[in-house]
Amino acid sequence: MRKALCMVLGLFIFFMASKSYSAEEYHLGVALSFTGTGALYSAEQMEGIQLAVDEINAKGGFLGNHKIKLFSVDTQTKPDVAVRVVKDLILRDKVKALIADYSSANAVAIKPIAKEYKVLHIAAMSNSENITKVNYSPYTFQVCPNSYMQAKASAIAIAKMAKEKGWKTYVTIASDYEWGRSTQAEAVKFLKELAPQLKLLKEFWPRLGETQFTSYITSIMALKPDFVYGSLASKDNVAWMEQAKAYGFFDKIPYPGSLISVTELMLEAKTLPRGIIGLTRAPFFAHLNNKMMVDFVNNYKAKYNKYPSDWAVMGYDAVYALKQGIEKAKTIDTEKVKDAMKGMTVELTRGKLKFREIDNQLRCSSYIGVVGDDPKYPFPIYKNIIEVKGEDSERPEKEIIEARKAEK
Amino acid sequence: MDLTFIFAQFLSGLTYGMVLFLVSAGLSLIFGVMNILNFAHATLWLMGAYFCYTFWNYLHQTLSIALWISIPLAGLVMALIGAFIEIVLIRRIYKRELYEQLLITYALTLILGDLIKIFWGVTDKLIERPEIIQKPVFIFGAPLDSYFIFVNLAGIFVAVALWCFLKFTRYGHIVKAAVYSREMVSALGIPIPKIYTMVFTLGIFIAGFAGGIQAPIGSVTLGMDMSIIIQAFCVVVIGGFGSLIGTFVGSLIVGEVYSFSILYWPDGAMVLIFVITAFILIVRPWGLFGTPTRM
Repeated sequence: MRKALCMVLGLFIFFMASKSYSAEEYHLGVALSFTGTGALYSAEQMEGIQLAVDEINAKGGFLGNHKIKLFSVDTQTKPDVAVRVVKDLILRDKVKALIADYSSANAVAIKPIAKEYKVLHIAAMSNSENITKVNYSPYTFQVCPNSYMQAKASAIAIAKMAKEKGWKTYVTIASDYEWGRSTQAEAVKFLKELAPQLKLLKEFWPRLGETQFTSYITSIMALKPDFVYGSLASKDNVAWMEQAKAYGFFDKIPYPGSLISVTELMLEAKTLPRGIIGLTRAPFFAHLNNKMMVDFVNNYKAKYNKYPSDWAVMGYDAVYALKQGIEKAKTIDTEKVKDAMKGMTVELTRGKLKFREIDNQLRCSSYIGVVGDDPKYPFPIYKNIIEVKGEDSERPEKEIIEARKAEK
Repeated sequence: MDLTFIFAQFLSGLTYGMVLFLVSAGLSLIFGVMNILNFAHATLWLMGAYFCYTFWNYLHQTLSIALWISIPLAGLVMALIGAFIEIVLIRRIYKRELYEQLLITYALTLILGDLIKIFWGVTDKLIERPEIIQKPVFIFGAPLDSYFIFVNLAGIFVAVALWCFLKFTRYGHIVKAAVYSREMVSALGIPIPKIYTMVFTLGIFIAGFAGGIQAPIGSVTLGMDMSIIIQAFCVVVIGGFGSLIGTFVGSLIVGEVYSFSILYWPDGAMVLIFVITAFILIVRPWGLFGTPTRM
């Protein structure tokens, strides 16, 4: 009897001891728009995130012993759905951090929830400046160049072209939601400053998810602008480009500085007009001098049999930024990780970049180039890339302080 | 403004109207005859677009006319799926209240949406157009996507074919009679369930065919159905549920109003359509060409 009791006690002690040595799993949430307008980019970002998680888990997880468990939910490109499913991630799945979302409207809706429940929130695709500029949350970080940075980068390039080509008039076409509106507004403001000779003839606001751009195309052609500035993304962008091309639009009207991500370069490889000037956020081919990017591209190709898009790059970078934050904090405790990440310099596929202290915005670059073929790839890439650095395109801190004062 | 561009805008509106007509024709036919408000109609249209892509994808390397074959094939496959849905689901809800029909067909929308995701994934599908329809054509100097000539002809063909079917064929006469009194048709020994299955199948064939026509216009993507279904409902409300000519005219009204408001008042394009729809609902709830009997 005593022998049996000792054995049970021994087993109990062994069980408890072994339990104390196996470190806590790290629950990482991913809230992206797997259906709706954002489905295309979201699926690719998820692939980048999954690859990063697999690589880190193969080495034992965060800090070598916290295996990452991924929980992903579909926010359907709808803010109300985003709020509901993110609460599920936090309350049911107990995630410590979440990567979210495709739509800036969703990211803005998610931010206060992450703050309320003290969960880290990394925006790796949605890039409205308002995610980090106003209603500041110390829990929200941005690893994507924001709408201000992108607008300024493209305005710099367009102002240069306008001067060279003698452009006088332009129209804008932007998706009618948070990101489209804010990007367009910033671009117009910059163009006013950088090229005051330019006159804005009209603004077009197709709704998010528009499938028929024909009437917009003929309206713009009727106005005969010198160029068109577009802020359309994902499926809307593909539909617009395809339909405009069939009208011979790009042969007549220059379309510089609009978002043509690597996704569009790959998807429309055969049909995308060569020579048009596009803007993008994280093209892998701009950083093949960085070993981390080379390894990422090779591993991604091995796993998914394709090249990574900007969204995959930024998803991958989001996980590695979190990893480096945890390593700096030496713990997975969210409060300490959040503090460690503030102002931190991280080594990512896009190089050594710093989170700006005032708004947790990563000082990352925007990329502008001419679409052209390259024998190394089965799709066109950007040629003559102009990389506008984060520090050259970010909003001055003074303006952010003023904006925050104004919201009070 | 240059008259050429006014004409170009008219052509855009006409084309958009034809796209809407192709989507709405089946919706209106099904409601007119069967009294079923099929919210899943646009999702079946989207499925037709995906099938068109699939057929094209298999055929385009060996057949130069792959696209032109894929479009009717998509309609045929969707007709089979439509018949299956009618037999398994729709015939059980004929006598349900309208809101119940809407809820059930909305559930069908979600199920079909998930099936699309499972079979085709979330990536956009792009059909590479044949050389002949890659460049614009100019009509009196106004540019038009050359593929839209086919879209407009297809819209007119469907309208004429449906009209001939209803006007000159025995089945067409039965269908028209069923709109007004299904009891009388039944009393004459004509099996109403079979007629309903036929009408639903025909409606979904048109939806699938329309989806096939839509596929090469842009990319085929998830969510396209949701953006077009509301406008399709506006079309049938304006034209009158169950009226073929009403659907045709309603489509052209919505297409042209949308097109010209984009040119002159871009912010109010959709608002105007809803204002017209609301106005029709208030002053003539049976629509421009419908009849009060349908109310």
